[in-house]
Amino acid sequence: MDWLRELARRLSMLVYRRQFDADLEEEVRLHLELRQQEQFESGMTANEAWAAARRRLGNATYLKEESRIAWGWEWLENLAQDVRYGARVLRKSPGFTAVAILTLALGIGANTAIFSVINGVLLSPLPYKNPKQLVVIKEHDSLPNVMDIQRQTRAFSQGGGINVEKMDYIGATEPVQVRVGLINAGFLETLGVQPILGRIISPGEDVQGGPRLAMVSNHFWQNCLGSDPHAGGTTIQLGGNSYTVIGVMPASFAPPAEHADVFVSLWVGDPGAAAERDVHIMHTYWRLKKGVTLAQAQADMAAIDRRLAEQYPADEKERKSQLVALQEWLVGDVRSALLVLFGAVGLVLLIACANFASLLMVRAVAGRQELVIRAALGAGRGRLIRKTLTESALLSVLGGAAGLLFARWGTSMLLALRPEKLARLSGIHMDTRVLLFVLVVSVLTGIVFGMAPVWIAARADVAEALKESGRSTTASTMGQNLRKILVISELAVALVLLVGAGLLIKGFSRLRSMNPGFHSANVMTMYVQLPATRYGEIPKQTQFRRELLSRLNSLPGVQAAMVTDIPLGGNYVGHRFVIDGRPPVAVGGEPEVQTLSVMGSYFHVMQIPLRAGREFTPLDRERQPLVAIVNEEMVREFFPHENPIGVRIRWAGGTEPPQWMTVIGVVGDVKHSGLNQPTDPAVYTPFSQNDEAWRRFMTLAIRARDASPGLVEEVKKQIWSLDGQIPVGDVHTMDELIAVSLAQERFNMLLLGLFAALALILAAVGIYGAMAYAVNQRRHEIGIRTALGAQRRDVLRLVLRDGAKIALFGIASGIAGALALTRLMASLLFEVKPTDPATFAGVAILLALVVLAACYVPARRAMHLDPMVALRYE
Amino acid sequence: MHRNEIPPGTLHLLILRTLARSGEMHGYEIANPVQQISDDVLQVEEGSLYPALQPMLIKGWVTAKWGTTAGNRRARYYQLTPAGRKQLDAEMSQFERVIGAITRVIEAV
Repeated sequence: MDWLRELARRLSMLVYRRQFDADLEEEVRLHLELRQQEQFESGMTANEAWAAARRRLGNATYLKEESRIAWGWEWLENLAQDVRYGARVLRKSPGFTAVAILTLALGIGANTAIFSVINGVLLSPLPYKNPKQLVVIKEHDSLPNVMDIQRQTRAFSQGGGINVEKMDYIGATEPVQVRVGLINAGFLETLGVQPILGRIISPGEDVQGGPRLAMVSNHFWQNCLGSDPHAGGTTIQLGGNSYTVIGVMPASFAPPAEHADVFVSLWVGDPGAAAERDVHIMHTYWRLKKGVTLAQAQADMAAIDRRLAEQYPADEKERKSQLVALQEWLVGDVRSALLVLFGAVGLVLLIACANFASLLMVRAVAGRQELVIRAALGAGRGRLIRKTLTESALLSVLGGAAGLLFARWGTSMLLALRPEKLARLSGIHMDTRVLLFVLVVSVLTGIVFGMAPVWIAARADVAEALKESGRSTTASTMGQNLRKILVISELAVALVLLVGAGLLIKGFSRLRSMNPGFHSANVMTMYVQLPATRYGEIPKQTQFRRELLSRLNSLPGVQAAMVTDIPLGGNYVGHRFVIDGRPPVAVGGEPEVQTLSVMGSYFHVMQIPLRAGREFTPLDRERQPLVAIVNEEMVREFFPHENPIGVRIRWAGGTEPPQWMTVIGVVGDVKHSGLNQPTDPAVYTPFSQNDEAWRRFMTLAIRARDASPGLVEEVKKQIWSLDGQIPVGDVHTMDELIAVSLAQERFNMLLLGLFAALALILAAVGIYGAMAYAVNQRRHEIGIRTALGAQRRDVLRLVLRDGAKIALFGIASGIAGALALTRLMASLLFEVKPTDPATFAGVAILLALVVLAACYVPARRAMHLDPMVALRYE
Repeated sequence: MHRNEIPPGTLHLLILRTLARSGEMHGYEIANPVQQISDDVLQVEEGSLYPALQPMLIKGWVTAKWGTTAGNRRARYYQLTPAGRKQLDAEMSQFERVIGAITRVIEAV
């Protein structure tokens, strides 16, 4: 405890140090006066007595100084003094200060923004209990399988699944679709979520014919139940049934990969799908037992898969469940993009730092005279270095602070631009880790890059420097070389970034120009789902669809059709199928295709071209011969050498007698799952010949001359005139769906493009600074040359040659660097090689032009230099 | 004037010893006996007393408070604390050990 009291005494001295000085002053004065009096009494004159007193006391200033130093605050006082001095110097040259701070702020700001995203997405733990133990099975699975795995597993302590389905919710101002998480017992327990009100369902309630119970999300509780603390026991109307609310989830909870407003048992919410082993609709999450590794769990899972395949060959023959750690599964796609961006933004910071260092060096050379004089007057080398470093650190901390502002702005921009995959992960914000990152980066920048001028200062040879009186000396020549190296590295790094951005832009424009297979302009889409309670039978569904389309098509300027799943909407149903007349395939081993039901002139509305045969007509309907239309990929894959028209196909495992469908037409391929995804073989069938009652959903595709908001209201009105309790959701234009599907690529491209532009600007500023400074240094030489008859052309050449040399070195090393680095981003590129020669050449030319432009201004100044003025200057 | 520099560290001891003998003293009062008692053999720059006092204040061996002199002047009075007394004892015995050892060595030669 002694040291604590000691510290308290030291601190109190620091706080009252003015008082301390005054006290000491008074004490010493008293001492002197008493001594003087004593000497005076022993017979000296007053003056002699005073002199004697002072002699006996010693150097009063020194003594006071020593007394103060004893308290150990000297460093702080020096620092304060250096900071004050540094601030004064910086205030005196606002241009330099602004450029230096802005340079750093851009570099640090961009880094911080990206780091906060990385921090939120890659570094922060998932918001679940012990998230490291959580794994996911990549493949969707059916409830019977999930229950078998729950029973048989030796690797998992818990597990469960969820399938989010839209259901209509009656109770709001208009019927709305809510996302219902159909779960089984184990799902919520596995994620370790505790309800804030009430309870979650027990295993005993999660059974066929169990009670209709619902757990609601915090969001639903606030918006639809008015945050009622007694919400437990109230009933809500979902999909035509009443559910009793038994629990409310915390606001922080969401299922890992999707949103859900309400959670109900799959057995209760969709008993038809729950019982079917081949309806693979659940995302399943599992918690590893303590000490079990992912590899062990995978082996255990493979054994379960084998048993299931043997037991149920018709449905599960090709089972192959792949386990992935949940965190990895959630961020897998964005990780590589984020890491590339982080690398890129790190390079931007490097350029900014190089600029910063070179700015400081210019100043250091200019201010060398002052340093030398200080050194001559006895300032210690350490003290001088500290003074210079303080100035750099001050700048870098200011730069960091300004960077933080940039970062706040940048982060909100990132959040606005973020693709869907990132949107699910909230928690992107500035936390202490981000702030620490900024602090470390900016202080390190200040110290490391502030060393450059210190190095020059440290080499200052007093006698030499005073003698040379500011002419170019060894130290400044070395500084000059160092600056050239800095600029060359800046150019090289900028080139790497530009190549990266160029490749992404090229890939993106390739992607953008991909033909999606349909014409998106002026097409509006909406998702409609018929409640099971009133539309359980197919004839009722067909009647509704037919009536709705006829009403919509009677609207002026409107062409409406429907399809089960709209392209780029994120969903499709796959079925296995059999071709008539081909050798039989083992049950469960039949090929799978995408299946889409349509009604109305769907191919017309979407402008999907007909390649052969005919389209569906209103006569292709129930109780008529079954027909199908296939896409070109289907023909390529399954009918490469025959005319598919007239061929009969049927769904695998159907009922007896077999329901053969005749192929009547071939349509063009559609990029259903994304512009950068391969096209799957697809079979279109008429909605009216549908034999699966669970397909109660449909997406309207409406082509209208003007897709105004009024149209949406008009369509809703028509729907509600048929049935007032059917919600309409997912209202998007086809153009929006395309934009969303490109969001991740656009995000990557925009950011890397932005960083490359930043890099280019910084590098241009850097080379401009270097050239301008070099010209300034050589004024004397240029003046002599001009006086001796050199033409302006010669002077121009002299300066540009320097610039060209730097550019050449920079571009050459940049290309080498880019060749080595762009492979890292191969996974982000669409149909562009990481070594695309056109991009490399284009970028090199661009950079060369920028360098030329940056050199031109100082070169012009050199050309127009008046030799008399230049010679007089020194 | 020629000075016999005092061995380093002894200044502490002298100050502590002086304070121990007389209770409260101000700087000038501490400076005087050091030289008088040593018959002016030990010459210290009187002022070095003040830097030497600072560590003692920090360590809490002495405390200082303002008071008035006999001549009715404001002066800072230093006083030994119990911790200071302990320190003095420690330094005294240390000093005696060293002096004793040196004396023995010198007499043996």
